[in-house]
Amino acid sequence: MTNIEKVFLKIGSIDRRWIFIIIALVVVVPLLVPIGLPIRATDTSKSVYDAVEALPKGSKVLLSIEYSPSTKPENHPMAISMMRHLFRNNHKVYVTCLWPDGQFMAQDALNQVAVGEFDKKYGEDYVLLGYRPGGEAVVKGIVSNIRKLFSVDARQTKVDDIPMMDEITNFKDFDFLFSASAGYPGTIEWVQYAADPTGVPMSSGVTSIQVNEVMPYVQSGQMVGVLAGMPGAAEYESLIGQKGSATSGMDAQSVAHLVIVLFIVLGNISYFIDRKRSRKY
Amino acid sequence: MFWKRQVPIFIVALIGSITLFGWFIDQPDVKEFIGDDATQWFDVLASFAIILGALNLIKLQIQKVLYQKPGWQYSVIAVLGFIFAIVAGFFVKGVDDSVAQWGAHVTSDGTLFKWMFDYVFSPMSATMFSLLAFFVASASYRAFRIRNFEATLLLVSGIIIMVGRVPIGGVISSWFIMYLIVLGLGIYVNSIKKDTKVTFVFVAVGVSLVTIGGIISGWPVDQPGIFYLPSIQEWIYYYPNVAGARAIMIGIGLGIFATSIRYILGIERSYIGE
Repeated sequence: MTNIEKVFLKIGSIDRRWIFIIIALVVVVPLLVPIGLPIRATDTSKSVYDAVEALPKGSKVLLSIEYSPSTKPENHPMAISMMRHLFRNNHKVYVTCLWPDGQFMAQDALNQVAVGEFDKKYGEDYVLLGYRPGGEAVVKGIVSNIRKLFSVDARQTKVDDIPMMDEITNFKDFDFLFSASAGYPGTIEWVQYAADPTGVPMSSGVTSIQVNEVMPYVQSGQMVGVLAGMPGAAEYESLIGQKGSATSGMDAQSVAHLVIVLFIVLGNISYFIDRKRSRKY
Repeated sequence: MFWKRQVPIFIVALIGSITLFGWFIDQPDVKEFIGDDATQWFDVLASFAIILGALNLIKLQIQKVLYQKPGWQYSVIAVLGFIFAIVAGFFVKGVDDSVAQWGAHVTSDGTLFKWMFDYVFSPMSATMFSLLAFFVASASYRAFRIRNFEATLLLVSGIIIMVGRVPIGGVISSWFIMYLIVLGLGIYVNSIKKDTKVTFVFVAVGVSLVTIGGIISGWPVDQPGIFYLPSIQEWIYYYPNVAGARAIMIGIGLGIFATSIRYILGIERSYIGE
């Protein structure tokens, strides 16, 4: 056995704690020292951007937040970028949450964008309707009669007293839906029970792991594009011309992915050497 | 027995039949029931389910502490956390009514509940999820092996998706990928022919052809598109992946339909403990 083979065999049996240290380093270092890799928008992200751009000014957009702090780095930049895009184009934003944690995420994003950046007025430019339990039943409830489901908003204000709710009775009154989703209930339920039966156009931003599930709906035209994971969020940030946390996270993700691929290649070389040696002896 | 068995089965069969066949009945009351009332019933029941779930959680954790089962110390923390959340949610707001009313206080800044969410729940939740990166790296290092054709296909697709999805994939030239393919094919040829000369000629011809092609076309990073990682990953997402996902979705749909029919006909009775 040559020295190179011995080295590869040694690498193959490396303690996993070394792998953990390397992964931690390749994630932390690019975050501290950004590389600034160019972001190229995919067709699916461009479709989402184009769909929002095509909405006439003052359109009523339902923004559904269904993610928790665990997927915040992926979903939150999408929600923030989408809010920036919607408020910049002077649309009216109605926020609902299918996840209990979503209400916190929505409040956080609204404080940052609607209040902090655009100085929008609550009840006239945007409203946070909040969380209701029931998953797809909530989606169906919004489709049939939103006022029966939401008698008060997240601030406990009566929905009848909110000016921008005057023209809203059910899902068909919205011009567009964007769902920032991390799982069930989320994007798929919105497609199946709301967007597809009513014909209201919708789009979504999902975690990378969910892309497989929602891609059939994008391809069939039931959804207008999709923001796929953190790369999708970074692409949207680049499309609206306002960089955020997703863009800065892409360097770290790029390097981490490359290192994982390197691990896989090294692991396979070690596996082949070991297999060859076992056959020999 | 009648109240515990026949009545629940009758209710499920009746409501299930109405919600299923109601789609085919053009009657306003039935339509309103399906689209409106039934979903509201579900919302009310789901709210009660949260209470039941919470009570069940606390019961199991207390039992674990009382009988000192393995890991009972963690259950103590779970129970204390539960009590803290109840106190912060229902009894101690932490701010005046002028800042936030009861109900709205859960997401209002400065309240005890919001503090708990921001400084206890969020960091712990993010920590648990971020651990995945380490386990994925370790698992792919040990388990992602080229054992057979299917495993090779999975591995190659996985690598293309991983690199092609991120910006670094966009700066890797398609010509570099072509050189890699030539070298990979060289290894394959060598394993079949087991002749160094044949392998050398194969690799030399391949490298020359790629180089000549590159010089003629001016080495564009994203051309030819079939060797450009972002383009390949998009194709994988759009076609092989969608085909597989659709097959799974159709299977799930048929499964849901079959299970629903079993519920309506009273064949499936797991919800009453049978």
